[in-house]
Amino acid sequence: MPEPIIDTHALTRDFGEKRAVDALDLSIRPGELFGLVGPDGAGKTTTLRLLAGLLKVTAGTATVAGYDLVKEPEAIKPRIGYMAQQFSMYGELSVLENLHFFAEIYRVPSGELAARTARLLEFAGLAEFTDRRAAHLSGGMQKKLALACTLIHQPQILLLDEPTTGVDPVSRREFWSILTGLHAQGTTIVVSTPYMDEADRCAVVGLIYQGRLAMCAPPAQIRSRVPGEMVELIPGDGRAARRVLAEMPGVLEIQTYGESLHVLVDSAGRRLPRLEGALREHEIAYKNIRQASPRMEEAFISLLRQMNEDEEE
Amino acid sequence: MSFRRIRAIARKEFHHILRDRATLILVLFTPTVLLLLMAYALTVDLQHVPLAVLDYDRSPASRAFVEQITAGEDLDLYAQVNSPGELEAMLMRGEIKAALILHPQFAEDLHAARGIPLQVIVDGTEPESGGFAVEQIGRRAEEFVTRALAGRLQTLGLPAGALQPIDLRVRTWYNPGLDPQNDLIPGLVSIILGFPALSVALTLAHEREHGTMEQLMATPVGRAELLLGKMLPYILVGLFNAIFIPLLAILWFDTPFNGSFLLFFLLSAVFLFSILGIGLIVGVFMRTQAAALALSFLLIFFPGFFMTGVFFPIASMPEIVRMEALSLPGTHYAIITRSIFLTGVGLEVLWPYAVMMAGLGFVFVGIAALFFKKRLG
Amino acid sequence: MITRIIGLAVKEVIHLRRDWWLPAFMLIGGALELLVVGWATSRPITNLPLMVLDQDLSRASRRVVTALENTGTFAPAVMGGNRQEIEEAMDRGRINAALIIPPGFSQAVASPNGRPVLAVILNGAESVSATAALRAIEGTARSLGEAITVQRLGLDPETFAGFDPSLRVWFNEALSEAYYTVPAELALMLEFVVMLFAALTFSRERELGTLEQLLVMPFSSLEIIIGKALPVLLVGFFSFNVMLALVYFAFSIPIRGSLLLLELLAAGYLLVEMSKGMVISIVSRTQHQAFLLVMMIGMTDFMFTGYAAPVESMPEVMQLIANVIPAHHWLEILRGILLKGAGLDILWPSVAALAILGLVIVTFSLRFVRRALD
Repeated sequence: MPEPIIDTHALTRDFGEKRAVDALDLSIRPGELFGLVGPDGAGKTTTLRLLAGLLKVTAGTATVAGYDLVKEPEAIKPRIGYMAQQFSMYGELSVLENLHFFAEIYRVPSGELAARTARLLEFAGLAEFTDRRAAHLSGGMQKKLALACTLIHQPQILLLDEPTTGVDPVSRREFWSILTGLHAQGTTIVVSTPYMDEADRCAVVGLIYQGRLAMCAPPAQIRSRVPGEMVELIPGDGRAARRVLAEMPGVLEIQTYGESLHVLVDSAGRRLPRLEGALREHEIAYKNIRQASPRMEEAFISLLRQMNEDEEE
Repeated sequence: MSFRRIRAIARKEFHHILRDRATLILVLFTPTVLLLLMAYALTVDLQHVPLAVLDYDRSPASRAFVEQITAGEDLDLYAQVNSPGELEAMLMRGEIKAALILHPQFAEDLHAARGIPLQVIVDGTEPESGGFAVEQIGRRAEEFVTRALAGRLQTLGLPAGALQPIDLRVRTWYNPGLDPQNDLIPGLVSIILGFPALSVALTLAHEREHGTMEQLMATPVGRAELLLGKMLPYILVGLFNAIFIPLLAILWFDTPFNGSFLLFFLLSAVFLFSILGIGLIVGVFMRTQAAALALSFLLIFFPGFFMTGVFFPIASMPEIVRMEALSLPGTHYAIITRSIFLTGVGLEVLWPYAVMMAGLGFVFVGIAALFFKKRLG
Repeated sequence: MITRIIGLAVKEVIHLRRDWWLPAFMLIGGALELLVVGWATSRPITNLPLMVLDQDLSRASRRVVTALENTGTFAPAVMGGNRQEIEEAMDRGRINAALIIPPGFSQAVASPNGRPVLAVILNGAESVSATAALRAIEGTARSLGEAITVQRLGLDPETFAGFDPSLRVWFNEALSEAYYTVPAELALMLEFVVMLFAALTFSRERELGTLEQLLVMPFSSLEIIIGKALPVLLVGFFSFNVMLALVYFAFSIPIRGSLLLLELLAAGYLLVEMSKGMVISIVSRTQHQAFLLVMMIGMTDFMFTGYAAPVESMPEVMQLIANVIPAHHWLEILRGILLKGAGLDILWPSVAALAILGLVIVTFSLRFVRRALD
């Protein structure tokens, strides 16, 4: 088991009275594609900013790329690439000028500058837009530019704060293929995202809620943590169906997704026929009732619900 | 310290300045416009001060006197009135700045060499015009009396100049006509050349407001590198002004320039370094541009205008305020500017001021670098 | 509509709370600045360094030096040893004036026909100080001359009293400089505070991209404008009163006229300056631009208020322009009410001018900003 490249112990950050990050224990291995998942305000941005040395640590310790985060945050910076959530590039500068700027800041050897720039532009699909001002790029291209600028110095670790938020689905996919490519090259990537399907693409997922790490495991494991099994159906009258099914024995949880209901039961085999029976009894129409495997969404919502219940106790 | 990084930051800043056309034009033209305006509006010789006369005597002598007083451009006879009430009203309404009352025995007293009873009333809300009026009236009165009494004096066996025996020989150095414009304009130049400091304060806050600061702070760029890089373009803008504005003063206003232009240029660079240091401090502490603007107005603009000795001599300021004035780079630069323009001295005289500015500059930049944390929040 | 405007104004105030330092600066900073600047500039010219080269070294020459020092314009004279010292001191800007009393001075004073010579060198590099120095020296020379003549002619010392005009100063009996400079500085600070604040309103939102958000909200342009204007006016008005209290207590500037009238006219003036600021805020795309425009316009206005030189002394053209500068009339009103105790009957020309200008400016601004927002 290789040494973790990011290792935190009880990492905490307070903003006055509010505790944004609460005793976080993270252990990320080199070359891992780690997803930090959670709702808004959970503490994702704060965590990333802490790791990038942008915020002062309130309590706890951490080691990033071999350096102590609390004592020598500046030493970490040459080894990481950080991409902020809002667009942080210089709008009046062109794509190429932005790249050059960061190249100079990171002191990329001048011999390699041209080659790396060309490669990154190609990589990010920006080769035709070198002279366009960053402010005039589309949302997706802006994100790609930002990513390119974090890569110019070939960092060991990438910290990306919601890199695909507010971007069209096509660009999102393109972005992820770039990330996968990077991952294949051995870069450690920590991505924060509110999108569950993106969480699925990560090697390890950290579920963060109210500043605390609720769970940290590969996606499959998280999905399997969902209690019981899942039955999916499309009811004619959603509300009525919910009411009926909620009463039934063996039903652990019901989640609504658009038109469908996802019903978590202790055993799909046993309960599915019973559910059908109940619906027919109450003359509630339904379609496509079948067993399905729970996705990250379900897992997450279920876990959150559990956490809230534990809190209340 | 990496020169490469400083250069990168400076270059980016330049792009920022050059590509915002409207701001660029404003930045380039504001100093010129301000110099022209200020030079014209602030340096006028007092002229056309409106005066009213209440002549109780109404003799040929008193009329001659009034004529002599109001001959010329500086005192204008606004009206001759018949009662003190009218004078009062005019003063109240601001129609006149001074009034002259000649007593009924004016001619008598004059011929009897008993003096000339005059009463001058002056609008104290504007001591400039008021004081000027009193001075001119006094001077003219003296001339008038001397001439009127010339005959009497001769019979007394006294030379015509008996009333004023002291021979006062006045020479003015560096500014022969004692033309206020000649020293005010260099003073204005020194004020205007400090304006880039306000922009420097803004630029740091700008990055914070627009979020680009976050990205920058995540890079290994050093604090001093960042601050110096941001200063550089504004020093260059300032140096451009340091060539252009004095040229304007010399060519347009015929302001004398007796010193070394090279010295002026070099010392301007030192001045820019120190005043931009103040701008940096403001920029480091303020999170938004609005706040940076407000603070830089209070710390850079107003003090630079009022307290650098351009309009009011430093010597006359109360002790504590004088200390404050001396800690402003603008005060030393004003002295340097005036000296180079008018006195024509060189570094052997001006070095203490240069050293002071440089020292202040290092202190300011140092404070800015110290308090500039590469952290959010 | 009123409720919506109030709602918008409240939202602005809430935003202000987050950036509370902005109005705080404007208020406290402005007042502090006025305090310091006023303090610096409210003294008559005094304490000027003077060097005396006394080549006569007699009682008469010492009398001259003492008389000069007693004028209060000079610091205690530095006795120089030779002309070279004077030259050096002048070159270095260490002295504003030098007096050379040549040998034979006292003899010339004593002799019945003698014309004693006093040589003065003025440092023309600081003309303001030089002029003050000259006035003091001439005054001293004149009174000394009179004393000599009196003595020579055996005249009654009272004789010459009649040759000096008696002076009465109105509105400012103590001839306090502060009466002149401080109200003008108050006017300047106030104008800048209000215009700057107003100029930031829309330009800020435009620069940060929140203007669009504001425009899609269900407010009419007029409501938006009023909602933004109210906090500025309130802060400005408060600022005015803080500064007024300051000049009253710290500089003993009286309020001889009607305070109520002053407050009313102040409110009107604030409205005018705020409108100018609003126009600037709409025209500017960034806060930097807004600030540069405020500077130019503010300084232009300031020139025409007659701060360093009375308006009558300016070229014709400039005098005409001064009439369309609201600040010019406002300063007349301010000085009139504070120092002269003038009422509406006296001030009506300035008030009328301000009102007309105000109407034109406010109407134009309103229409301009409204159109720009739509």
